[in-house]
Amino acid sequence: MPKVTDEAVIIGMGETRVGKLPGMNSMQIQAQAVLNALDSCGLSIKDVDGLVNLDPYTIPNSMFSTTVGEYLGLKPSFISTVDVGGTVTGMTMLQQAAWAITSGYCRTAVCVYGENALTARPPGAHGFLLKNQMGGEEWEEPYGLQGMVAPYALVAQRYLHDYGGTEADLGAVAISHRRHALLNDNAMMKKPMTLDDHRASKMICSPLRLLDCSLVADGGGAVVLTSVANARRLGAKMTRLRSIAMRMTHNSVAVMPDIEDFGMAAAGREAFEAAGIGPEDIDVAELHDAFTISVLVTLDALGFCRPGGAGELFRSGAVSLGGKWPVNTHGGLLSQAHIGGMLHIVEAVRQLRGEAGARQVENARYALVSGNGGVFSVCGVMILERA
Amino acid sequence: MENIFAVLPTPTAESGPFWEACNRGDLLLQKCDGCGHVFYYPRQMCPQCGKREPGWITSTGRGTVYSYSHIAVSFYGAQWESQIPYTVILVDLDEGPRMLSRLIGDDRDRAKIGDRLEVIFVEVEKQKLPFFRIAAVKPA
Repeated sequence: MPKVTDEAVIIGMGETRVGKLPGMNSMQIQAQAVLNALDSCGLSIKDVDGLVNLDPYTIPNSMFSTTVGEYLGLKPSFISTVDVGGTVTGMTMLQQAAWAITSGYCRTAVCVYGENALTARPPGAHGFLLKNQMGGEEWEEPYGLQGMVAPYALVAQRYLHDYGGTEADLGAVAISHRRHALLNDNAMMKKPMTLDDHRASKMICSPLRLLDCSLVADGGGAVVLTSVANARRLGAKMTRLRSIAMRMTHNSVAVMPDIEDFGMAAAGREAFEAAGIGPEDIDVAELHDAFTISVLVTLDALGFCRPGGAGELFRSGAVSLGGKWPVNTHGGLLSQAHIGGMLHIVEAVRQLRGEAGARQVENARYALVSGNGGVFSVCGVMILERA
Repeated sequence: MENIFAVLPTPTAESGPFWEACNRGDLLLQKCDGCGHVFYYPRQMCPQCGKREPGWITSTGRGTVYSYSHIAVSFYGAQWESQIPYTVILVDLDEGPRMLSRLIGDDRDRAKIGDRLEVIFVEVEKQKLPFFRIAAVKPA
């Protein structure tokens, strides 16, 4: 069973403004996210001896943890840069930080991601520009598979076919995220969305329309972890890492398995088992939502509904604020901003700390965070508990 | 087909035989001598059991649509604009493996999941690429 640790806890989280941050580079954005996270728990850079980050996707950097570490004036004894894809990277950062703290490599670690993916994009470019190769190019590019929309469109087409779903299911996901974003001052999207808006939005790769796609954005988020002993000494507000589970099944969509065989179901089962709880115990869920289809596939796989039932969860309001399992209370990648999923983790911690303001889920005890990198290539599930 | 644009592959020593076979009109797959697993794309070992130096088999080039998407936007510049709209597909080959390809033909936009497909090699700058078309339905 995947065990993280009981010896390290989350004590702080923070984010920068999202949208366009002209004049800021990725290093400065990550540094600001770190400072904001440290402010949330009353610590300073002098308290930090561990740093884990992800380098920018848009303008690749090497050794980016040392770039940010030097800028912040850190002299960390544990330092790492990781990249396993959307939100799973964030969980991997937390996992590494927790293990480093538990084994004595550091006492207080910050996990951070951020970049200027929007303002650094060349004029006229569409979508999310990935400057690094991912290894599957030889088996994708000759056929015109480019960018991230087409791969998810292939998943969406099959999912809707298998379960008799329609574009209205995708629209229901987009609308719920927008409703939540309107309660978040730090969200890019400010206007309500209707099913007609969704239906009228431009087709990108069938069946995915513009409003099925997440928002390329500048911004950053960070989380602070420390030992339980130190957290108690500081009198910090603690969030426990109950479980983190992951499963990789493939990289390129060119050879992806059946949707039912994505790693999300296995990761979910293991995360629930390790935490000793089930879907019915979850108070709030922050699920990686690079596209509307991502959330439907994830809710099915995690057992929140029968296979194919996720659209109904959205149509019934069960996964919107006020419902049984509010999903992506911050507006998610779809309506807040795509910050690699780091803000899903920030929001989960914020909810468990009771600091989510107008979108607070009352008395939230358990939060589930899910992620997938690539095209459900690697799936991760993390369960957090209010301490 | 007129005016087909494609980004050509950069073959490696391992994948070279696959792309050379395409130029002869053959779609090659690899088959493990140890466990019998048939797989795509070519590798130095079987991804199921790890046995090295898998052999090659020739696919019938027939398969079924697992999924498809009609691409309505070019993400990477003017060259692709000329191809819009075009259709990418995931094909489940009769030999077992799944592969990504491009669907061509006048009935491309009527593709459905489960449709039968056949490979059709299309030459772009001296490299034939294994695209697919909807297979003619045989009379019952």
